[in-house]
Amino acid sequence: MYLELHQLNKRFGEKEVVKDLSLELAQRDLLCILGASGCGKTTTLNLIGGFLAPDSGSILLDGQDVTALPPERRPVATVFQSYGLFPHMTVLQNVAYGLKFQGMDRAAARKKGLYYLELVGLADRAGSRIHALSGGQQQRVALARALAVEPKLCLLDEPFSNLDAALRTKMRHELKRFQEELGITMVFVTHDQEEALILADRIAVMEEGALAQLAPPEELYQNPASPSVARFLGVDELVWREDGTVLKIIKQ
Amino acid sequence: MSKAAGPDFPLRKRASHDALFPAVRQLADQLILLALLASICLFILYPMVCILWRSLQDGDGVSFAMYAHVWRKYRQSLYNSMLTATCTALLCTAFSVAAALLTATGKGWLRVLGMGLLLITMVSPPFVSSLAYIQLYGRRGWITYRVLGLSLDPYNCWGVILMQSLSFVPVNALFLMGMLTKMDQGSLLAARDLGARPKHILRDVVLPLIRPGILVCLLLSFVRSLADFGTPVIIGGRFSTIASDIYMQLMGFSDLEKASAMNMTLLLPSVAAFFLYRYLMVKTGSTSGERSQQRGLWLPLHRCGALGGILAGGGIFFFLVLVLQYICIFASGFIKRVKGVSVFTLDHLERLMRYNADTLVRSMVYALIVALAGTFFAMLFSYYVYRRKVRFGSFFDCLATLPYMLPGTCFGIGYILAFNHPPLKLTGTALIVIANMLFKQLPTTTKICTAALAQIPDAQEKAVRDLGGDKLTVIKDVILPGMRPAFLSCFAYNFSSSMTTSGAVLFLIDPGNQLAVFRLFDAVNKGEYSMAALIATFIILIVVVVEGLVYLLASRKEKAHVS
Ligand SMILES: Nc1ncnc2c1ncn2[C@@H]1O[C@H](COP(=O)(O)OP(=O)(O)O)[C@@H](O)[C@H]1O
Ligand SMILES: [Mg+2]
Repeated sequence: MYLELHQLNKRFGEKEVVKDLSLELAQRDLLCILGASGCGKTTTLNLIGGFLAPDSGSILLDGQDVTALPPERRPVATVFQSYGLFPHMTVLQNVAYGLKFQGMDRAAARKKGLYYLELVGLADRAGSRIHALSGGQQQRVALARALAVEPKLCLLDEPFSNLDAALRTKMRHELKRFQEELGITMVFVTHDQEEALILADRIAVMEEGALAQLAPPEELYQNPASPSVARFLGVDELVWREDGTVLKIIKQ
Repeated sequence: MSKAAGPDFPLRKRASHDALFPAVRQLADQLILLALLASICLFILYPMVCILWRSLQDGDGVSFAMYAHVWRKYRQSLYNSMLTATCTALLCTAFSVAAALLTATGKGWLRVLGMGLLLITMVSPPFVSSLAYIQLYGRRGWITYRVLGLSLDPYNCWGVILMQSLSFVPVNALFLMGMLTKMDQGSLLAARDLGARPKHILRDVVLPLIRPGILVCLLLSFVRSLADFGTPVIIGGRFSTIASDIYMQLMGFSDLEKASAMNMTLLLPSVAAFFLYRYLMVKTGSTSGERSQQRGLWLPLHRCGALGGILAGGGIFFFLVLVLQYICIFASGFIKRVKGVSVFTLDHLERLMRYNADTLVRSMVYALIVALAGTFFAMLFSYYVYRRKVRFGSFFDCLATLPYMLPGTCFGIGYILAFNHPPLKLTGTALIVIANMLFKQLPTTTKICTAALAQIPDAQEKAVRDLGGDKLTVIKDVILPGMRPAFLSCFAYNFSSSMTTSGAVLFLIDPGNQLAVFRLFDAVNKGEYSMAALIATFIILIVVVVEGLVYLLASRKEKAHVS
């Protein structure tokens, strides 16, 4: 498979935060890691991104073992929950930031940065300071910055949790559109069942650091692997679109 | 590549893509860390070890003989030191509380005036109080002799206590004011709401809330008084403390073993105080991170009963003495006596330009070097030790904070012992003076930088790594830009401290390369009061101008950021 996690383990002191986690993901698919707060989702993402080293296990991306590579050498880009934008740079400088490390010259980087800004609909704010943008706009800049380096894998850690409900719905649809149009492979972390069911090609449900079930949304809904997964989903009924994706969710 | 849509953008081969390059940068990162930690060991730990080692030398081996000797011979001085430090701590803290309350509760221009006076005193060179004291209240003092017709002998222990108390107030008062203005206004309002009158509020709410701060002030003043040798040397007369005895020893360069043992005796209470201070500061809560409200404190002191009256009176007295002091300093540089009458003159200024201009310029150059180098050192040090969490981080943190409480004589003699022989013969060079200032001021600059560092989100650092930057890129693109406000505060602090420092530096300066503070001390001791006053005036002027520029720069950049 394109992304493979083999038997990952991570502990902080006595606490086992990730336990024997194995996952697989095909190219151009979007995987949602779904789980309650504190179950080890961010830690898993940090392992994939290279910000933490696993105690054991390995990570393969596009056939290459990246387990020992530092973050700057992994073809992975992250959209952080708090965005992590650089406040002393303009919007465009933020988006083009990663390109200089790929050996792109200034003019080309600028052009490419603008291209991705246009994609997220913020070309007119290229010269603005980060603090002058709204939360939703900052979110798009963070997304554009990650996409601009054309990573093999894009990681998103609860990217919409700081947005209000209406904006969140809108961003979900846009994200899905980019992902499909650009054919990006994504791992998306969330604690929101609805978000996972709407976005994901496959959902990995995590419980206390271990994988509880890995399945497409429909199968997860039809056949929850355990009562606890069913309870966590807490969904009564799904309304499907013709193409098989989720249209609406009716909660108990 | 998973890219499906979008145009192609050309790549150009760059050095950063060579296989060797990342390894070199990785090595550079480790070397920076190593250099930082090695400097801390070399310039803080090693001199301390040298003092300890030397104090235990006794002709033919290790012994405590020198301590026994010091204990016997300097018993009176030790007693004097303890007495002075205790009285100074009490008096100074009382003045500090009074001045802080008066300033914090003052309205409009009164508060601005109070703040201004405190800040000027902060950036004044040492000995200024003593200098003004001799001129105002001495045998031929402007006030005691010319106005009141008295001829008092000013050279005694009370003069030392009073002058120390006055000159240690500003730091304490500003610290207490920080606590007062950050105080939860809600609890004051609640007390009023419950029917408390101002005097109850002062007694039941305000004073208890700043109690940890008062303890810190007591402690700091005590340690400073123990370490202060300038005041007793200038106005102690026959009254000497252990610090002034050390000064005399060192100036005679007679017996380094004895001086070391004396310093160790002084060091013990200081180090004890240091650990108590760290404990207290944890309890006070780190207030440096949040921004203080610029509002004053609502509390009409004149309606606060007897206690309020005493505090207000003490504060007013303090500020009056301060105003008189500065009038005296600024005026006496331009006055001479002709046939019993004071007339305006530029004679002193002319002599200053002829003989002392070079020392002023040299002081400025040193201060600028310390300000730049020290600020970068503190920024990098706080990043590596507090953010990257190196091994033994808390040990290095402790070492870096130690100079805060170290008496100047200790730090001075430590440097002399450590760097007066090959392979590290630095005595007589500018480097030893600059290093001494830099590391003496490191505790405060690191504290400023660590507070700023806490404001930089972790995600920014991760984003750089994620997008292809390495550890050095993180420093260049996130840490240094993010610490810009801290850069300015550190720069200002380093500059003013270096211009006015008096402690260790006096022992380290090469006679051929004097600094302004040294000349000032010299002039006071020789009785050239007008020249001393003029040097002091110029030092204050230079510091105020430079700090003003830094402040302007900071506020302009801030405005640019907001718009
Ligand atoms: N650096 C760390 N040191 C110690 N414990 C940690 C650390 N990071 C996370 N944890 C613990 O690991 C658990 C999982 O954290 P995290 O992966 O952030 O959960 P999630 O993102 O699913 O909310 C939590 O209980 C957290 O307290
Ligand atoms: Mg998380």
